[in-house]
Amino acid sequence: MIEFKHVTKRYPESGEALADVSFRIERGELTFLTGHSGAGKSTLLRLIPAMERPSRGEIILDGVTVQDLPTRQIPFLRRKLGLIFQDYRLLNDRSVFDNVALPLLITGHNPHEVGRRVRAALDKVGLLKKEKRLPLALSGGEQQRVGIARAIVHKPPVILADEPTGNLDPDLAEEIMRMFREFNDVGVTVLIASHDLSLVRRFSRRTLRLEHGKLIEAG
Amino acid sequence: MALMRKTGSRRGIFRQPLQSETALSDRTKAYLILQKDSLKASFARIWETPIASSLTILVVAIALALPVSFNALVQNARQPVEALETTSQISLFLKPELSNEVAQKLANKLKQNPALIDASLITKEDGLRELAAYSGFGDALAALNNNPLPAVILLKPKASDADSVSRLLVELKSLSEADKVQFDSEWLQKLQALLAIAQRCVTAFSLLLGFGVLFTVGNTIRLELQNRRDEIAVAQLLGATHRFIRRPFIHSGFWYAFLGAVLAWGLANLLILGVRTPANQLAELYNSPYRLSFVRLTDTGILFASAILLGIAGAWIVVAHFLREIDSE
Repeated sequence: MIEFKHVTKRYPESGEALADVSFRIERGELTFLTGHSGAGKSTLLRLIPAMERPSRGEIILDGVTVQDLPTRQIPFLRRKLGLIFQDYRLLNDRSVFDNVALPLLITGHNPHEVGRRVRAALDKVGLLKKEKRLPLALSGGEQQRVGIARAIVHKPPVILADEPTGNLDPDLAEEIMRMFREFNDVGVTVLIASHDLSLVRRFSRRTLRLEHGKLIEAG
Repeated sequence: MALMRKTGSRRGIFRQPLQSETALSDRTKAYLILQKDSLKASFARIWETPIASSLTILVVAIALALPVSFNALVQNARQPVEALETTSQISLFLKPELSNEVAQKLANKLKQNPALIDASLITKEDGLRELAAYSGFGDALAALNNNPLPAVILLKPKASDADSVSRLLVELKSLSEADKVQFDSEWLQKLQALLAIAQRCVTAFSLLLGFGVLFTVGNTIRLELQNRRDEIAVAQLLGATHRFIRRPFIHSGFWYAFLGAVLAWGLANLLILGVRTPANQLAELYNSPYRLSFVRLTDTGILFASAILLGIAGAWIVVAHFLREIDSE
């Protein structure tokens, strides 16, 4: 589902963030990506939705070579992904409902379906009663769950999460991780970047480990 | 999927099956609903920031109202001038020694002239009667022994352009019966030239102020884009196309221009209303049937069409620039 072939990413200011990284994640796998901060986890995750382009190598997502994609095709690539960010990236002047509805509006779903699917997603993350709230009126854990609802509302085949539990206490973190496992149980390919090794170990799944931009353990 | 990429359409690669499999009419319907909702949402956003929005709308309205009202006044002035043109007359004064019979014969002959529509004779006696009736010199004229007035033939030329009229004048002057030929066309020509200049000014103003509308709307949209930068970035991460991002801003541009045009139309008519009373009094003094009219229907149409076009173009240019900038980051 996700394949990296000898991918290198070099920044003009800070040098090599990723060096000759190769791996392959099969459809329906749940994989962790670990490493210290600055090891290249975020860079790796940013390459998949073409937020950045690799300096060298090839990235293949669902059979499509990502870095060759023309700019105007990138939105259609991103619609296959559910992206979850450490800082949530919610629109703070919009209600929880509107935030979660955004991916569906982008893909042009009709209004009746939008309401039904948004509520289904909010129900899954346990926030059905807070759909009218603004994100800043919610706790960090709740905001992250809004982010997760937004990532799954359009039923993407792949979920990419960058430090989804970074700002949460251990109990909440574990709850969020269990949620990802549930998505994986229904066939979604999940890739989670996390520096919380103890949490990752408890889930005992395949783990990719990055150190100074190099992949030193590929499960 | 790899196969699709080689053989499939360029657009459809990443479309969800749900979308590509819906019937065309459903997609059109969904598209129209989207447009309508977006228009409503754009209007609501303008409504939410009444002060900033009304400033933009006011500037647009003034920029539009100036050429529209100027144009309306020029159009109004043209009407009576054009009417004058068609009633332009040539007075052919005959030699005083000629008898009325000779004069009548000449008038009949001139009626046959293809360059003339009409020729009517005012005999010496008619002329004296008219003068006595209208000038107030009745008693003084009665004291005269003989009639000093010549017979006059009033002629209406068929063509009113300067060339054919002057050709006609030369022809009339060469008549042996003619004493003097009078055609007061110079002032009319000057007036027409002035109106032509005014008309050109309207065009120039329209172009200049049209750019004003373009930039005013563009600048407002640019500020909106800056304010919503984060939102746009998030939408792009979620798979928003340029078209999706552009749509609300184009609709904002539409509203600014449309509301500006409505206000401009009102302002222009208000201005005409202000000049209407004295202008109509003036017309009455000249015994003219003309009354100042408001902005005409065609001009209203042109106002709205060009305003909306400019508003949408202004928004489009700014959003396109913004998206190019974001893409290159």
